[in-house]
Amino acid sequence: MRIGVFICYCGSNIAANVDVEKVAEEAKKFPGVVFTQTNLYTCSEPGQLQIVKAVKENNLNRVVVASCSPQVHSRTFMRTVESAGLNPYLFNMANLREQDSWIHEDREKATSKAIDLVRMSVSKVYRHTELYPKYFDIKKKVLVIGGGITGIQTALDIADGGRKVILVEKEASIGGKMAQLDKTFPTIDCSACILSPKMVDVGTHENIELLTNSEVVKLEGSVGNFEATIKKKPRYIDISKCTSCRDCEEVCPVTIDNNYEAGTAKRKAISKMFAQAVPSAYNIFKRGKAPCSSSCPADVSTQGYIALIREAKYVEALKLHREDNPFPSICGRVCTHPCETECTRKLVDEPLAIMALKRFIADYELKLGKIPLPHMEEKKPGKVAIVGSGPAGLTAAYYLAKEGYEVNIFEAMPEIGGMLRSEIPDYRLPQEILDKEIDVIKRMGVNIKTNSKIKNTEKLWELREKHDAVFLATGAHRDMDLNIGEKNIEGVLPGVKFLKDISFKKAKKMKGKVGVIGGGNVAIDSARSALRLGAEEVTIFYRRSQKEMPAIEEEYEDAVEEGIKFDFLTSPVRVLEEDGKLKGAVFIRNKLGEPDSSGRRKFIPIEDSEFSCELDWLILAIGQRPDTDYLVTGDNKLKITKWNSIEMENEDILLADSMGIFAGGDMVTGPATVTEAIGHGKIAAKAIDKYIAGQDLEKIAKDMAFEKDSVNKLKTEEVFSKKELDSFKRKARIKIEKIDPQRRRKNFEETVKTITEEEAKREAERCLNCGICSECKQCSTACQADAIDYNQREEMLVKEVGAVAVTVGAEVLDSDVFGEYGGGELEDVITSLQYERLMCASGPTNGHILRPSDKKEPKKIVFLSCVGSRDRSRGNEYCSGICCMYIAKQSILTKEHIPDSKSHVFYTDIRSPGKDYDEFIDRAKKYGTQYIRGRVSKIYRREKDGKLIVNGIDTILNEPVEIEADLVVLATAIVSNKNAGELAKILNINTGPFGFFKESHPKLRPVETNTDGVYIAGTCQSPKDIPASVAQGSAVASKILALMSKDKLASDPMVAKVDKIRCIGCNKCLTVCPFNAIEESEFRGGKVVNVIEAVCKGCGLCEATCPIDAIKLSGFSDEMILEEIKAFPK
Amino acid sequence: MEKENKVKEMEKEEDVKIIAFLCNWCSYAGADAAGTARLRQPENIRIIRVPCSGRINPLFILKAFSSGADGVLVSGCHPNDCHYTDGNFYARRRLEALKEYLPFIGIDKRRFSYQWVSASEGQKWQSVVVNFVKRIKSIGKNEPK
Repeated sequence: MRIGVFICYCGSNIAANVDVEKVAEEAKKFPGVVFTQTNLYTCSEPGQLQIVKAVKENNLNRVVVASCSPQVHSRTFMRTVESAGLNPYLFNMANLREQDSWIHEDREKATSKAIDLVRMSVSKVYRHTELYPKYFDIKKKVLVIGGGITGIQTALDIADGGRKVILVEKEASIGGKMAQLDKTFPTIDCSACILSPKMVDVGTHENIELLTNSEVVKLEGSVGNFEATIKKKPRYIDISKCTSCRDCEEVCPVTIDNNYEAGTAKRKAISKMFAQAVPSAYNIFKRGKAPCSSSCPADVSTQGYIALIREAKYVEALKLHREDNPFPSICGRVCTHPCETECTRKLVDEPLAIMALKRFIADYELKLGKIPLPHMEEKKPGKVAIVGSGPAGLTAAYYLAKEGYEVNIFEAMPEIGGMLRSEIPDYRLPQEILDKEIDVIKRMGVNIKTNSKIKNTEKLWELREKHDAVFLATGAHRDMDLNIGEKNIEGVLPGVKFLKDISFKKAKKMKGKVGVIGGGNVAIDSARSALRLGAEEVTIFYRRSQKEMPAIEEEYEDAVEEGIKFDFLTSPVRVLEEDGKLKGAVFIRNKLGEPDSSGRRKFIPIEDSEFSCELDWLILAIGQRPDTDYLVTGDNKLKITKWNSIEMENEDILLADSMGIFAGGDMVTGPATVTEAIGHGKIAAKAIDKYIAGQDLEKIAKDMAFEKDSVNKLKTEEVFSKKELDSFKRKARIKIEKIDPQRRRKNFEETVKTITEEEAKREAERCLNCGICSECKQCSTACQADAIDYNQREEMLVKEVGAVAVTVGAEVLDSDVFGEYGGGELEDVITSLQYERLMCASGPTNGHILRPSDKKEPKKIVFLSCVGSRDRSRGNEYCSGICCMYIAKQSILTKEHIPDSKSHVFYTDIRSPGKDYDEFIDRAKKYGTQYIRGRVSKIYRREKDGKLIVNGIDTILNEPVEIEADLVVLATAIVSNKNAGELAKILNINTGPFGFFKESHPKLRPVETNTDGVYIAGTCQSPKDIPASVAQGSAVASKILALMSKDKLASDPMVAKVDKIRCIGCNKCLTVCPFNAIEESEFRGGKVVNVIEAVCKGCGLCEATCPIDAIKLSGFSDEMILEEIKAFPK
Repeated sequence: MEKENKVKEMEKEEDVKIIAFLCNWCSYAGADAAGTARLRQPENIRIIRVPCSGRINPLFILKAFSSGADGVLVSGCHPNDCHYTDGNFYARRRLEALKEYLPFIGIDKRRFSYQWVSASEGQKWQSVVVNFVKRIKSIGKNEPK
């Protein structure tokens, strides 16, 4: 063994606290050391040459350099050793600087430590062996993350160098923060003018693939061979078709904050990021499907029609509604409105009166005349039979007829409408309203046969033979039995039958006391109808409490207003009769127990609490079940469940039998709501259309399930943050007018009135636009280029690249965290970025500086630097670096815009160390900008005249300053990107204490990271100005081009190696390996493992795990480290 | 004589020697960062660089004690920040178990500690060192019993 030890003075860095010569002297005594030498600067060229010379002259076969941290110079010295003809891995370092001389003052102890460190290093190198890298191909494609000026520069440089680039940008356009600036210092040239051409270059460069609205979510592999997973969010616009004509923007009803204008202006939900955006196309800003729309069983675009009502586009609103639900007028009256239950506005004050809004537009149209027919497709071959004309059947008929099919409806009752007709009383849904909406279906050419009951399966299959598909929607009309001796008693009526008789004008007048049993809508409808038929006293008996009642809240309230009595927590026990005529009933009291599987609390009868009640009529409204006997009468029966509902073959597409029998509505779900039935009708129509077109049933089911599941349904609680919810102004929900309860008791006149146009508009304005885009489809109608595509979905793209450049930029701190400066409440206290927009010719004020509060020109402007920077109390000790310069720029521009203005700048220190920078500050001073050294303690609006008062201190004159300002501009701190931490984890790179990415060496490797092949540039590394960002961007490009100029890349040979003779194939290493770099293998017929060298990253987890020492990490094996430990002085 | 003994004792205390195993990516860089910031530390620690805290074989710790260390310190990346994804979790499991076994071979388990120090936490590294050295000094040298 011939080890050479080279000890560095590092000028005086090491020598000041370590006696270098003594270390060299001691090192001579270590086993194997045959040569020692000290150098002033070992890393310098002469220093390196001396190592080469010494190796050659002394025939050294190991080298130890005791100098700085191996993280600084190990690569340098490995190259030196290699050039001396030695294998570079026969080398080790001792860290005498960062971990010795720089942290210790006691020279003697530091020297003693240095000797230890060298001894340990020598012992380890003794065990080092020659290692040789493997060579592998490089993917010559680069991923650039972030399309600000830095990313643009990097991408262009690399693309110009002939390599393919994928540029990933989170927003809809590249440009970043620079695109928001008006002018740039110190030249005061227009930011857009120098940036836009570069943006266009990116957009048109043949080597650049631009992915906007995209984020990198995963990065695997290593330098030369990364595999990046990119989440591409939908833009809902076909970029290749969009001509940026603005037609869509004109008709969009949703206005949102414009983040490009830094909140100084609004934008439409469909808009272009900014005029020069690249790609030059519009973008739909969409959070997801609003909770109201998501909760609608018929999938109506609720937020959409509300937005259109706000714009007084009632015809369009109805058209949109009918795309998913052809019965706005009916649903505006009888829907159970889950949309209102889920409305996010309830978290602010009260939910929107959505049903009233829907009814308003429907009635508005009815007042104008006939309901217009929808756009009808051309007649198609294909006939569909629909059994049942309730909401499900009618809806299916509507959409199938619209598609061009011949539709025949078969209805058992004498009139069409199903439950809508027979069960919902006129005071809730007037029959003429029903007639008008059904009339549309007749006019669409649907054939309707009433009194045509399908009695058995023979008839059903006969029907199927004559048609291409059959849709069954026969509802749930059969009353449930109570079995308390109510059969054949005069005066006892089943609820549904009772209501049906009223609808078909067969009901008799009533007198005396009426009891109704049940808690659903049928019970309340029966009670209220009984009252209208002349009953003197009506009582509803319900077994649970009001809270558990399934009836709609409003119906209950209306009933109470009308004088209906409620007897909760009572169950009927038996009917009292005399000669077959009802006398009354016996009831028992209940109490509530634990919740059952449906979440409602169970009722438990209380012993000995029976009581009787005299009654003239007893209406039983305890629920209905489907009447499906006809499906099991005859040959080729269909299956029914124990609840009498039809058994489905595939519920997603409402398929009951693969022979083309579909079914929907209450007969599938059991008694449910009108809107659910309508939803079913629509699904069935869609499925039947595809079925007749000859598509495979499984494919239909898969497609329809995807359509349903791929939508991002927003949850009420998750739409807005608490802060956002607090920021919404409270606005009361409209009061919906009803006719007087006394008048109601007399007849079946409609109870609830339609709201007025003015009320509707006011209510619609309460909408919070949860989804952002409301899905009103106005843009797609307006777009002549057919560029709008609502079917775009989020995609996951996997790209193979050889290197990654991270240029995600930084953010500006929000001003609302500064309570002393108004906390964002003072309108005329703005951030520099906002001021930039106010000065910009393309900004909200067209480049006229007008202050936000009164749109007047400010004359006295105060700039505050270091707002949040160099401020320990905010946790940002660092200098944001660019504020002094842009304040000077903004003050100069202010003077140019408003010559009689005066600018004051509060500064901590003026930092202007750049080319032509200090001269620029002088220019600002020449323009009359007054610089005051000191900080501002408070900004407030003076009560008496409303002026903004800036209170500060001049630390040079040491006296307080008070300035009356028209406008205050805060140079808020530049803070790291809020996604930086997460991205750092994905990319396996580090962040520093303030969240900026950490470079691998602050001076010598400023754009590299500790993960080979991943580079950083621009403000994501630290705050910096445009020239510095661009320079770093180019630096990264040149680094990557250098990497890609090689044909092969050498792998790090410090990987694990298996001793196959020892290995017993226990696979313990395989389970711990974080990179799946170990695979099962065979050796001489026995099980062993094998290391995939290209995948191994050299962590050594396997070696620490191996129970029999069969796997070794080259360069850091147990033996080497144990030698190092043993060299520790006893 | 008594006084002399006491001085000797104190010198001994001063002289405690500690081996620290630091992962290459976080803690070793953190110790470098402390150096770059010239954060003064006691001289008692000798650092051994390993790729990952998960690389540490419990044998290293035992060998360190038997080689004369008065204290052994391990430091790696913070949980969830491991350069090798989850090496530090394996380290934590092994070292936690090891700690419980130390008393069986006559070693005060306070002589062993493991910490998480990131590359940016120079100051934290300084305080880890200061506190650990203080602790070992208070226990004294690890003389064979």
